[in-house]
Amino acid sequence: MSGWRDLRSGWLVLALALFFGAALAGVHRLLAARIAANVLHETLSQIPALVPGADGGAPVDIRGRTVYRAEAAGRTLGWVVPSGGQGFADRIDLLIGLDADGSTLTGLYILGQKETPGLGNKIIEEPWRGQFRGKSTGQPLVVKKGDPSSGNEIRSVTGATISAESVCGIVNQTVAEMQAALAQATREEPDR
Amino acid sequence: MSAHQPTAAERFLQGIIPENPIYRQLLGLCPTLAVTNGMRAAMTMAGATAFVLICASVLTSLIRGLLKPHLRILVFTLTIAAFVTIADRFLAAYMYAMSKQLGPYIPLIIVNCIIISRCEVCSSKQGVFTAAADAGGVSLGFALALASIATVREILGAGTWFGLRVMPAVWPDWVVMVLPPGAFLTLGLLLGGANWIRAAREKRRGASRAA
Amino acid sequence: MDWIGSLVLIAVGAMLINNFVLYYFVGICPFIGVSRRVDMAFGMGLAVTFVISIAALLSWAFTYFLLRPNAPLAVAVWEAVSPGSAANVDLSILSYIIYIFVIASSVQFVEMYVRKFFPALYKSFGIFLPLITTNCAILFACLEILKRVAGAKPAEVWGLHQALTLALFGGLGFTLAIVLMAGIREELDFADVPVHLRGAGITFIVAGILALAFMGFTGVDRSLAAVLLR
Repeated sequence: MSGWRDLRSGWLVLALALFFGAALAGVHRLLAARIAANVLHETLSQIPALVPGADGGAPVDIRGRTVYRAEAAGRTLGWVVPSGGQGFADRIDLLIGLDADGSTLTGLYILGQKETPGLGNKIIEEPWRGQFRGKSTGQPLVVKKGDPSSGNEIRSVTGATISAESVCGIVNQTVAEMQAALAQATREEPDR
Repeated sequence: MSAHQPTAAERFLQGIIPENPIYRQLLGLCPTLAVTNGMRAAMTMAGATAFVLICASVLTSLIRGLLKPHLRILVFTLTIAAFVTIADRFLAAYMYAMSKQLGPYIPLIIVNCIIISRCEVCSSKQGVFTAAADAGGVSLGFALALASIATVREILGAGTWFGLRVMPAVWPDWVVMVLPPGAFLTLGLLLGGANWIRAAREKRRGASRAA
Repeated sequence: MDWIGSLVLIAVGAMLINNFVLYYFVGICPFIGVSRRVDMAFGMGLAVTFVISIAALLSWAFTYFLLRPNAPLAVAVWEAVSPGSAANVDLSILSYIIYIFVIASSVQFVEMYVRKFFPALYKSFGIFLPLITTNCAILFACLEILKRVAGAKPAEVWGLHQALTLALFGGLGFTLAIVLMAGIREELDFADVPVHLRGAGITFIVAGILALAFMGFTGVDRSLAAVLLR
């Protein structure tokens, strides 16, 4: 019967599938832990820069989101919240540093973006994203062309207002969603 | 087919310039355009493609006696997809930032026509050594082509090469070169240039033969 | 409203802003190879749109139920084999292999089905179907779906409707690009192109100019989002 012959002629495919299955399982065993560590390290390595004084951190789940507790000597100094949203060209992913009660921004780091090189991608540079440090989360941040005059203003990026506004929008929205929950998590800590 | 079968060394050299996968055969254009906005990304892509191409060629050459005609393509695809997965995991483990930058273009090596065409044309018919030499030559040709495009785009578009500043500070970066349109324009002009060089060489050869 | 609005945003993004061909460079081979005449280009575009939608449907199902970390089906099988140990089941290492077979088999089935039941349709685009297996646009759509299903936060995991919208409009974007290209190339036949640029060279340069034009759509989604989502 031809069906049986077809099946027999397929033995090579089956053997190869088993062989590659085993090879991939081996690769996975060998590398999965390292890849997971890479992903985690990407965020953890930024914690000391995002929350001054912190020397490390650990992921925690708050309100269904993974955030990172920034610690020094076991005490919570602040929080690092991963967030993201649509930018000008593509998605922007960033890390927001907040102090322990979520009332002040302590830093901002752009994890991934595809904004226009030379214009929009200035958002990744320290002079621009450094502006967020020390801003109060009491009122939403707004983008201003030219020099900022009041406390909640962020200088725009020349030729890329949309990129700047996107980042501010992501920060505002994340802070609005998370601030209360983070402050509460800090208060509930046993050693406070 | 001519009676003369090219040797392994000839196949290796053929792949580099005379049968260059990009400039001569117009294969594998998707990574050629997508990852050539910088030399680092382009060379990582060339390395990953070379790994998959050489491994897949050697393996298909080893099992060439067992291949059934109607299952041939299936076996090639399975082999290529498995090696691409391995390359993808290694990049994610040891070059995490680069693997993030290249994103979907690493798994897209699976549908890079260069690899399946080498499996079909060469390695499923030749011995292991010949197949490996052929794959090595084609990989080198692919890497050279990527390097040529990436060099033009990175120097004009960002003023750097491998991330090192090469243009004077007054150079106004032609941002459009590192954006998608720059890829098309560069490849189009370089293809024209390659055709022009070949035409000029053939004309000279013709002239010297006539003389 | 939000539901439709978010789908409109995905559609506009896939078709115009991040056009598969002109922004992501996938599907270049047919874009260069089958763009000589408008009717052929249109047939190719429809064939790709058709296959890409079916592949998206299947690959979403595979990713959602089987491949993503802690996917329900994978966990169920694991529980059945060794109860109580399904702590962290993750089959995503198999996704590339599964996708390429999903694509290859859906191309086969679509070809058989169309040939049997729609002979007229088969005549118009059937010849393109075998070529589509190695079209990177299809695999790219599957990979985008993988990213949005397996790599996303639980609240942002894409449903089937979003995956299908991306695939359908990505395919239509491909159709738009290849038909535009074919229209230009039909006119190019009467133009005096420098001899060494003829063929692929001038096609790429025209594609570059098209890509420049499509860059004009960047940022449109922001205003759209402001209107649609509020």
